[in-house]
Amino acid sequence: MNGPALLEVEGLTVEFETYGGTVKAVRGVDFTVEAGEVMAIVGESGCGKSVTVQSLMGIIPMPPGKITAGSARLNGSELLGLEPRAANAFRGKEIGMIFQDPMTSLNPTMTIGDQIAETLKVHRGIPDQQAFESAIKLLEMTHIPEAKKRAKQYPFEFSGGMLQRAMIAQSLACSPSLLIADEPTTALDVTIQAQILDLLKTLQARDSMAVILITHDLAVVARTAQKVCVMYAGQIIEHGSVDDIFYQSAHPYTLGLKSAMPSNVGDRDKSLNPIPGSPPDLFSPPLGCGYAARCPHAMRICHEENPPFFQDSLSDGHAARCWLQAPNAPVVPELYQSNKIASDGA
Amino acid sequence: MLRYTLGRLLSGIITVWFIATATFLAMHAVPGDPLMNEKATTAEIRENLARKYGLDRPLAEQYVIYLSNMIQGDFGISFTQQNRRVNDIIKDHFPVSAALGILAITFAALGGILWGAITALYRNQLPDIIIMFLVILGISVPSFVFAALGQLLLVNLNQWFGTSILPVAGWGTFSHMLMPSLVLGLGTMALLTRLMRSSMLEVVNEDFIKTAKAKGLSPQRIFFKHQLRNAILPVVTVLGPQIAAITTGGFVVELVFAIPGLGRYFVQAVQQLDYTVIMGTTVFYGAFLVLMVILVDIIYGFIDPRVRLK
Repeated sequence: MNGPALLEVEGLTVEFETYGGTVKAVRGVDFTVEAGEVMAIVGESGCGKSVTVQSLMGIIPMPPGKITAGSARLNGSELLGLEPRAANAFRGKEIGMIFQDPMTSLNPTMTIGDQIAETLKVHRGIPDQQAFESAIKLLEMTHIPEAKKRAKQYPFEFSGGMLQRAMIAQSLACSPSLLIADEPTTALDVTIQAQILDLLKTLQARDSMAVILITHDLAVVARTAQKVCVMYAGQIIEHGSVDDIFYQSAHPYTLGLKSAMPSNVGDRDKSLNPIPGSPPDLFSPPLGCGYAARCPHAMRICHEENPPFFQDSLSDGHAARCWLQAPNAPVVPELYQSNKIASDGA
Repeated sequence: MLRYTLGRLLSGIITVWFIATATFLAMHAVPGDPLMNEKATTAEIRENLARKYGLDRPLAEQYVIYLSNMIQGDFGISFTQQNRRVNDIIKDHFPVSAALGILAITFAALGGILWGAITALYRNQLPDIIIMFLVILGISVPSFVFAALGQLLLVNLNQWFGTSILPVAGWGTFSHMLMPSLVLGLGTMALLTRLMRSSMLEVVNEDFIKTAKAKGLSPQRIFFKHQLRNAILPVVTVLGPQIAAITTGGFVVELVFAIPGLGRYFVQAVQQLDYTVIMGTTVFYGAFLVLMVILVDIIYGFIDPRVRLK
């Protein structure tokens, strides 16, 4: 890799002040996104995926939210802690964003065309008429039939899938170098999900745009991403290429996610294995590994000390926050342990 | 939209008929009749009068006669004011009440939306606390107190400047209208402020506001283009009944400021059991209220496309 990455996030820590105390929603997250790359962030509900990306955009409610530490640089310039005016120079222009529920994410009293045109008017200073024409072109780009007519309609006249297409059109209006898709298909039914993902993939490849895709659906990850970060309890616990994560899962949580995923290959009668228990309370995050309480392989140290990242000695960019990756850890057959393979292979 | 409007009009007519019938029955259920108050009348004269006005006939017959006259737009002649037609009373005095009411509702709506938006912007900060305190006052203090205080203020101001800045009472010019309409609109303004505030706070948390931020729009643009219009919807909804309530309910304020509005006649008529005036003003007020509600529904359709295009 040459030069700095498109987006570099370091030590991002986000807390929420609530009546019940401080919730440590994101606890020191680092990742990088290269230009033109699709990176997925996966994890179950409440693990801090959305908060992570929304902090980058500066759209978490502050207060109660607060970014207590960390930095995020887009092409070298800092994103966190900006004044609204400075933040608006990149929001919607350099970074586009689409949300989970397209039904509620668009203004109900404004036409679709006007909402898309608004982005162009604000960032590019394009006059009304011309911006609306561009909005129609953007709707055509996302394969909305009769775009000209549709642009004059309101969100309630669109179906969920069509609205998500309109959202994509809106977020891409200024050709951003990074698109953040926060569970873009969760609220849609399965056939529409596939269409939306295909559309995202096509547009991503066409513009060689970077995408951060947030999802809890591993099938979506396998379909679209090149790089994956697995999040748990406000931390990234494993990251690597999509092949590393799926075929050489180095963290028991990743294994757990995989066995909880339905599959249409192999034994049809195979039952799914949910991960027992629930994530730790982030009011008082555990001392050790967040997953230790649910982990079938937990050792004493797992409860006492949060593991650092152990690098995979074979695969570049693959690492896991798990004591089982330590050189002197016991062997767990179903888990990929780079240290064991390295020593066995020697 | 046309179908919608016609449907609303039809149901409005039925409502007015219902109001007329209910008032007619309630009015006759009250003991006594308009001729009771006549001075120095013998039983004979009273009988003659009753025959002349048709009060000796069965109630059902009176009802049918009244309704058929009403449909032709004739509310009859007042029992207590000599030779004055109810139509003329309404024609002479309603415009006064209406002018006062329209100005009052304008104050109330503009003030309510403005103060409501400000309180929502400065939620739990000093401006919010001060305005919300005043709102509680505005809702709980009756209008005749405000009317008297308003007059007191004007008297003092006029004295202070040594000249008449605004007239303290009376009717005639635009400057006569300012203080009474402000007083009349205060309660509604307070109500609308509260409504607008809660509506604004609700809209702030909507997903599309998050989208607007992610689009990189300025706070001002988000406020005006995305938040305000969606927050105004519930305020517009209550505006219809409020217009009618202000226009028809201003009689206390009219009394204090010596304004020749319709309210005074309405109250007088009830006290004297002046059947035709009671009926005329009530049905007229009822029809006015229904019309305002329909009007607001139509305006609502323009603001909210979801209503218009269904």
